Amino acid sequence: MGVSDYIWMGIQAVFQGPEAFSILGLSISITIVMVLAGFMLGIVVGATPGLAGPMAMAISLPILISAFGFSPDALLPVMGFLIGVMKGATVGGAVPAILFNTPGTPDAYMTTLDGYPMTQAGQARKALKIAHFSSASGDTFSDVVLILCAPFLAVLVERYLDLPEKTALLILSMAFIASVIGGSVGKGIISMGLGLLAAYIGTGEDFYPRLSMGTQSLAQGFPVATAVLGVLVLGEVFKSLEDLWHHVRADDRPTEPRQSGDQRLHWADIRRISPYIARSAVIGTVIGALPGIGSTLAATLGYSAGARRHARKYPDRVKFGHGAPEGIAATEAANSSVSGANLIPVLSLGIPGNAAAVFLILATESIGGFNPGPSVFKFTREAINPELVAAFGLFTTMMVANAFNWTIGGAIMRAAGVMVRVPKHILLPIVLMLTLTAIYVQETRMQGIWFAIGFGVLGYLMRRVGMSPLPFVIAFILGGKLEETARQAFAATGGDAWFLFTSPMAALFMGLAVLFVAFSLRRPTEAEK
Amino acid sequence: MKQILKAAIAAVGLAALATGASAADWTPPGPIKLMIGFAAGGGADTQARLIAEELEAKLGWQFIPEQVTGKGGLNLAAAIKDQPNDGSAIGMVVTETLGYNMRAADAGMTPADFTAIITTAGFQMGIVSQSSKGWTSFADVVAAAKGGQDIRFGAMSPKLADLAYLLGKAQGVDFNIVTVKGGKDVMNGVVAGDMDLGFMAGIQAKGVASGDLVNLASALSAPLVQTPDAPKLSDLGVEFNADGYFAFIGPAGMPTEARDAIAAAIADTITTEGSKSNSLLTKAFGGPTIIAGDELQAMAEADYDAAGKLLAAASE
Repeated sequence: MGVSDYIWMGIQAVFQGPEAFSILGLSISITIVMVLAGFMLGIVVGATPGLAGPMAMAISLPILISAFGFSPDALLPVMGFLIGVMKGATVGGAVPAILFNTPGTPDAYMTTLDGYPMTQAGQARKALKIAHFSSASGDTFSDVVLILCAPFLAVLVERYLDLPEKTALLILSMAFIASVIGGSVGKGIISMGLGLLAAYIGTGEDFYPRLSMGTQSLAQGFPVATAVLGVLVLGEVFKSLEDLWHHVRADDRPTEPRQSGDQRLHWADIRRISPYIARSAVIGTVIGALPGIGSTLAATLGYSAGARRHARKYPDRVKFGHGAPEGIAATEAANSSVSGANLIPVLSLGIPGNAAAVFLILATESIGGFNPGPSVFKFTREAINPELVAAFGLFTTMMVANAFNWTIGGAIMRAAGVMVRVPKHILLPIVLMLTLTAIYVQETRMQGIWFAIGFGVLGYLMRRVGMSPLPFVIAFILGGKLEETARQAFAATGGDAWFLFTSPMAALFMGLAVLFVAFSLRRPTEAEK
Repeated sequence: MKQILKAAIAAVGLAALATGASAADWTPPGPIKLMIGFAAGGGADTQARLIAEELEAKLGWQFIPEQVTGKGGLNLAAAIKDQPNDGSAIGMVVTETLGYNMRAADAGMTPADFTAIITTAGFQMGIVSQSSKGWTSFADVVAAAKGGQDIRFGAMSPKLADLAYLLGKAQGVDFNIVTVKGGKDVMNGVVAGDMDLGFMAGIQAKGVASGDLVNLASALSAPLVQTPDAPKLSDLGVEFNADGYFAFIGPAGMPTEARDAIAAAIADTITTEGSKSNSLLTKAFGGPTIIAGDELQAMAEADYDAAGKLLAAASE
């Protein structure tokens, strides 16, 4: 069983999986169909202001699991769908940004700066094509980096990190995430603390339930879906409903200026935007590989790096912010190249870096048979390591999604422009109902709904006070793992209470964790800037 | 009189026929909720899912598998206790759940709150290390520990952690006992070098066969099938053992025909040669071991009563 055997088995797992239907005797596997469906849904969702990829992933996950079950066969179709949504949403976000000056996803904000001026100048289709080309390039680049890096990083982690170091690494990642997400370190840490608190209810190794206040309903802890969907999706819906309540809906329907002129993407255009794409793809990939930073910062950095270069090298061309195709390219390549690299910490360490990764981890946890983390990448020689086959299967689905993106992504994207006209007062109740349905499908007891609504209120309050809910969710996912690793490290070192500081590597991680928080505290807040 | 007698005989006959036929004729009132007390993807989980899959194919029953993990099976026990007892909810745990764990937790549950249905297999519980460690017998481990080496001992349940502690005590050494969630985690830990040795309940079979792992001792009252020469816990000075079985249970008061029908169906599929569950059990657990119904119930209750002694020994 060499590396190439595993790659080949992974590819086969995708293409020769359970058959959905066949065309002219050529059987099409269900995984491929699901990737395509997810990708199309992702573009539509990304193109709808107020919806985001993670929301669609959140709602579809329980429904997918109830459709596909928990068997190992379910893994690739479900993950394929989610990966499709993730990729589609990054492309789709650019559509309303370019056509109507309203970003579909937060990371497409920078795209409005040059995209909408191009639309006003009658170049909308061309702007969309540039966005698509850049996004697809960035995404593909990032995936290639993921596929090359994740296995090696995982092997390194397993070889050099012992239990205390692994514990310290988890603490470091959480400190990092808490300090970089959102505007304030304090709020990030509170959000993370709340997540840990929720994760520790009812769990633990002892036979008696912890923090359950004597009730049987808390004794099993909060189901992950209720906490995550509640805080991320319901919280957002509640907040948007309130915003609607406050602002009477403006009745001016967005209009698209008349289009004219040459809308084709020429070879010369590609040559012109390529350097910007390349630079942004690298920026996005590096940002993506660090857990928790996310695509919005990548887009901002990619855009500003592109703007500096542009102003220096081509002072005669259209400036950034006035309809420069390079501006769209720099933004879209950067925000799209985050998604693949974001899976590096997921697959090699089991640490999710953003909301999309949270749902991918959730999917693997619910289905079973694939536990993201260093144990995946064991190239066993005699017996097949099914997790490794699944990992290469996942890589294959990503590449399949990229293939769809390159071939039909552009066309779907141009068609998705209508989504911006869907009024929010119709959209939000639908999302609310779908979310509650999805939770009930997974939990099949009313308690689940109550938990989710409770977490929704928490998510709403967090948003009201300007606290990002993402550290909460990531802490909730990692809480169990942190406790487990810490307990094991404590036991393995013979009950040494200082196990986090006795090995140089663990001490280094802990020091870095403190430094990150301290350093971020000194960072000027948004208001001071 | 004759008429009455005839009617009476007919009635008794009918009743006998009815009970005789009922176990064979019993069909689940709907889909059966199958609670699995083990982490998804491990050997025990795979076993439960394979059995469900085979019964679905063979009898047309429908199963809804669900992971209810944690607290050594007690979360599952607490959850299944209040499920309908008509056979529409069963769960797979280890006999340890109803014995040691229930006793140690003292959470107001006893084996009498459950219907024991059937066991599928006994553990081939070995104390295992990687062969690259260079240890060939348990004496080597003790020698290493006495030589000042820190020895990390992986265990997947509190009972096993107690046994590891008692084993160290009997041999005059201290182990650093690391408790993890399941046998698969012990194996991953041992293979990755996070632990030096650990309990494995059958999952080690493949590795032992290929020479990557080595059974240093049997944690059972009997020798291991795969490594009959390895010493038993009793040979190493520990009077307790890790004998135990994977068992299906239901809520208390399941009708006998439902219990027996489910038991018969499971027994049938795991003993059918060539079935996937049979080959899994044979490979990993030394073949199926069937203890069903009242016998299993009695065994669980005896385990529960005996658990106090181990608890007392380990807390000395």
